[in-house]
Amino acid sequence: MSSETDVKKKRLLKSESAPGVSEPKKTKTEDKAMPASEEEEALHRDPVTDLQSFQASCDFLRSSIKNIKQLKLKANSSAEITAVRTDATIHFIHMKKLNRMSHFRCRKVRETTNEAKHKIDQCHLQLQNLLYEAMHLEKEITKCMEFKSKDEEIQLVPVEEFYKHAPESVSKPEVTKSDDHQQMLARLEWELEQRKQLSDQLTKTKSDKEKMSEEIQSKQDYLDTLQPKLSDVLEATRPVQDYLDMPYDRIREEHEKAQHLPVPLYVLYMQASAYREACDKCLHVSIHGDVDAAKSLTSFTFEPEEDSDSDAEDQDKPESKRRRKNQEARKLEKKNRVLKKHPLCVILDLNKGGDAELQLTFYYCLALNIITVNVKVASEAKLKTTCISGGDLLSPEQILDELYPGDHGNESPNVANHYELKKYGLQEMSTYIPLIGRPYLWCQWMGGLQFLKKEVDKAEKDTGSEEADADAPNVTTVRAKHAVSAANMQRTITLLRERMRARLCLLQQLSSLERGIIPISAELLKLYPAKINAHLSSWKRSTYDDLSQLPQADRFIKAGLVKETDLVFIAVIDRGSAKLTAYIVLTANCPQVAPLFILDIVYHSHRTALNDVHVKEMEEEVNLHYPELLLLPPLVKGESSPSNLAALFAPHVGRREQAMTRARDQLLPGQVQRLLMCLDVYLETDTPASSAVPLEIPKEKMMPRTSRGPSRAKPYKYVPELGIFTHRC
Amino acid sequence: MSSLRDPRQSIQYMLHTAVYDICFSPCGGYIAAANKFGNVALFSLTAALSPSVQDEAKCPVYTFNVYKNGGIYSLTSTETELICAGEGDIQAYQWADIIAKNPKIVWALSIPKKGVFSHPEINSCVIDSSSDKSTLYAGAGDNNIYAWDIESGEYKSCLTGHTDYIHKISLKDNGQGLVSVSEDGSARIWDLRANEISHIVKPFEHEMCARPDLGKWLQCLALDEDNYWLVLGGGPTMSAWHLNTLTPTVTFDTPGVAQNVAMFYEDKIFSAGNSNVLNHWSLTGEHKMAVPLSPTAVYSISINDKSKSNKVMAIAGSSGYVDVCTNFGYKAFSLSFLHPSVY
Repeated sequence: MSSETDVKKKRLLKSESAPGVSEPKKTKTEDKAMPASEEEEALHRDPVTDLQSFQASCDFLRSSIKNIKQLKLKANSSAEITAVRTDATIHFIHMKKLNRMSHFRCRKVRETTNEAKHKIDQCHLQLQNLLYEAMHLEKEITKCMEFKSKDEEIQLVPVEEFYKHAPESVSKPEVTKSDDHQQMLARLEWELEQRKQLSDQLTKTKSDKEKMSEEIQSKQDYLDTLQPKLSDVLEATRPVQDYLDMPYDRIREEHEKAQHLPVPLYVLYMQASAYREACDKCLHVSIHGDVDAAKSLTSFTFEPEEDSDSDAEDQDKPESKRRRKNQEARKLEKKNRVLKKHPLCVILDLNKGGDAELQLTFYYCLALNIITVNVKVASEAKLKTTCISGGDLLSPEQILDELYPGDHGNESPNVANHYELKKYGLQEMSTYIPLIGRPYLWCQWMGGLQFLKKEVDKAEKDTGSEEADADAPNVTTVRAKHAVSAANMQRTITLLRERMRARLCLLQQLSSLERGIIPISAELLKLYPAKINAHLSSWKRSTYDDLSQLPQADRFIKAGLVKETDLVFIAVIDRGSAKLTAYIVLTANCPQVAPLFILDIVYHSHRTALNDVHVKEMEEEVNLHYPELLLLPPLVKGESSPSNLAALFAPHVGRREQAMTRARDQLLPGQVQRLLMCLDVYLETDTPASSAVPLEIPKEKMMPRTSRGPSRAKPYKYVPELGIFTHRC
Repeated sequence: MSSLRDPRQSIQYMLHTAVYDICFSPCGGYIAAANKFGNVALFSLTAALSPSVQDEAKCPVYTFNVYKNGGIYSLTSTETELICAGEGDIQAYQWADIIAKNPKIVWALSIPKKGVFSHPEINSCVIDSSSDKSTLYAGAGDNNIYAWDIESGEYKSCLTGHTDYIHKISLKDNGQGLVSVSEDGSARIWDLRANEISHIVKPFEHEMCARPDLGKWLQCLALDEDNYWLVLGGGPTMSAWHLNTLTPTVTFDTPGVAQNVAMFYEDKIFSAGNSNVLNHWSLTGEHKMAVPLSPTAVYSISINDKSKSNKVMAIAGSSGYVDVCTNFGYKAFSLSFLHPSVY
């Protein structure tokens, strides 16, 4: 029994410790068990009364406990205790109920609180949303406020103008004048309309333009197609032009080319063309070369200073290895630059279509300021074939040698070149002749360049050298002058012609002489006796060196009559045991300068001019008295025959002089024939009068006197009219 | 004429020329040389011999033409005149005029014509001024010797007899006699008083001097002052003949070379011919010296005895140079016919 009470006590204690709180709990836990009525009851009951009832119960319990305790102390009072206990238990139950009630209530309060809280939360959320919305709207509003309409950027016509020009339907003044917005709209509308119109106009104009350009293009195309047709037509007319000898087109083309020629060549070309036009139709002048290169070269100026600067640098700076390596290449380049030729050249064809053409190609050396010439001889095969001894007569190297006396074309006529070449470490001009051609003096003259002669300007040369070293543009001081070219053109062309003709003629004569035939024309044959016993047995080429070995040639060489450049031939003439060897020296301008004969007779003894005056006289006959071998046209009064040469070099070669040069062509065969005749006379008169031995060569010729004068001269002169030999007196 | 020629031709003429005779002026200061082209060149000896001699001094002071087409073979001088003879008339010029560079023909003589084709030359002239009237003798190409009176120009006489042209003549015995040598090989001695031939000498027939391989002509003639010796040469070997006996006594042998000129000088004989040497001989025939010369054949030797200061020997021949010897043993210098500017 006591244990039961303990438990009860405990329970009690428990419930007593938290009556207020435990009650709702009790309601909760006993939710299922407890009928809903208790819950509702709890709600309906007033808590404050419950609290007072609870306190009253508590007070009762406390007093009950105290009663029990006091009863317990009084022994055997159980009955009383039981009664008290029962009362107390009832109170206890009531307390329990109260506890439950409080629990219910508590739960209820909690629920309501939650509910309220939830509501608040919802409200708060709504508030938040609304705030956000508000803010957003505000933003939108500001955005809208800030919005700028495009129309503001559009430049509109001013208002006054708008009302002036716009139609009423658009401007609507009654509305717009008052309403700014409407006005703006109207103005915009008007603007739009106007712009549309302009845009239309633009497109229209554009299309017009396109159409026009198309039209132009088509026309252009048409014109383009016309060009080849025209050139075809031109091409087609060429034969006609050629046939009519009116090469207008070609002349035009050439003239166009000529614009790009360097000045001296231009002068040459112009003067040669003019000469051709005026006097010489056989001359053919043309321009060859790369016109484009010439065009690009028009601005070419040789700048020696620049180069000399770099030279100076070379010396100043310590030479780097690279430099040294490049030096060879640079030297070559320098050389090429100094010797550079203008890309255009002028070609002169003499005797075009004749037996043998002489083609001269003139080049202009830009840096050296000289004209050089390349010679080409195109002769017909028959001329070349037979002649052995004179095979090189037409060689380009030789043919134009000494066209003017002393002009070998070996050295530059421009004295400045000497220094220039030296400056660039090049050799003398003659080394480069195969490269650039020969700078004959007459080439310079034809191009209007006149340099000082070497002999004349010795003093100037000395002073000039310093200048040339100091500033090399000295080179260009000589300018091409038309007058110079004009003054020399005719003479030079004539000389060129003459040279060519003379060479061909000589070639024929040589080939004939090689065969032992002396080619004397029929009309000249009467100058010689019909019977000549000596005959030409051989004709060969010799050399200057061989000739210079001869003692009898010494005086001619010393006197400068024989030069190393001359052509030497050997003719052997025989009669019986006598043999005459004639060394014949032909200068470059043969036969303008008569061939020179140096004789050597072997007959019993060896005889030359040195030991036999008669041999010397024989030489005189051919070397000095040759003019009588020619059928010269009648002399002009007061002129003597030895002046023939002077006449030849006169600028105006008249008809008589021309006839004279023609006659001179016969000179060499005439001299040889004369030599045969003289040998006959020599041998026939070489017989001592008192000699008893039978004569090998009898006297056959008619000679009134066999010797005359202190030198006992022989009658070498033949008088054709009488057929006798007399002395020259 | 020479001015018309170009230099090359001038040189040609120079190389082929021959000087046939030379003659000193009466004053001894000039020398005239005549060449085969008919020109006479005057050289100034004084200038050429002056210590400060220049090349120009060795060239002609003046040159003039006498014959257009032929040579001058003989120059003879009188006190005032230079007489040229050769392929044409004999022409006389005043020395003074020549020196003044303005020569004029003072007088001229021509050989009497004998035929259309004969144009005889005159190879040698001598003047006989021993008597009052000076006489000019000329040995001509037509084998005759003609004589004129110089003062009047009157043709006096003609000596005929040679069969070929006369090379040289020389007076003997103070103009009483004349010796001529000819191409025909004979030397004839004429008596001028009688105009007759007195002796004929034919060296080519004489074994001492005959040289048949060369020929028989006689070109070289010299007489010594005493007219004792006669030197003849040419085809035959040069030899000295005794005039009284007309026999050769000494020969001056130049093998294979004909002697053209010879002269007596003091005790020596000079001779030269178709070689480029001047031979010095003693009267005994000893060859003393051979002086090399520029001409290959010599036609004239002359010694200037008119001026002591300019006493030189001039030698001319088949060359444009006239050699001058101051000492006769060697050639001092040469006078040139051509002006050096031509070279």
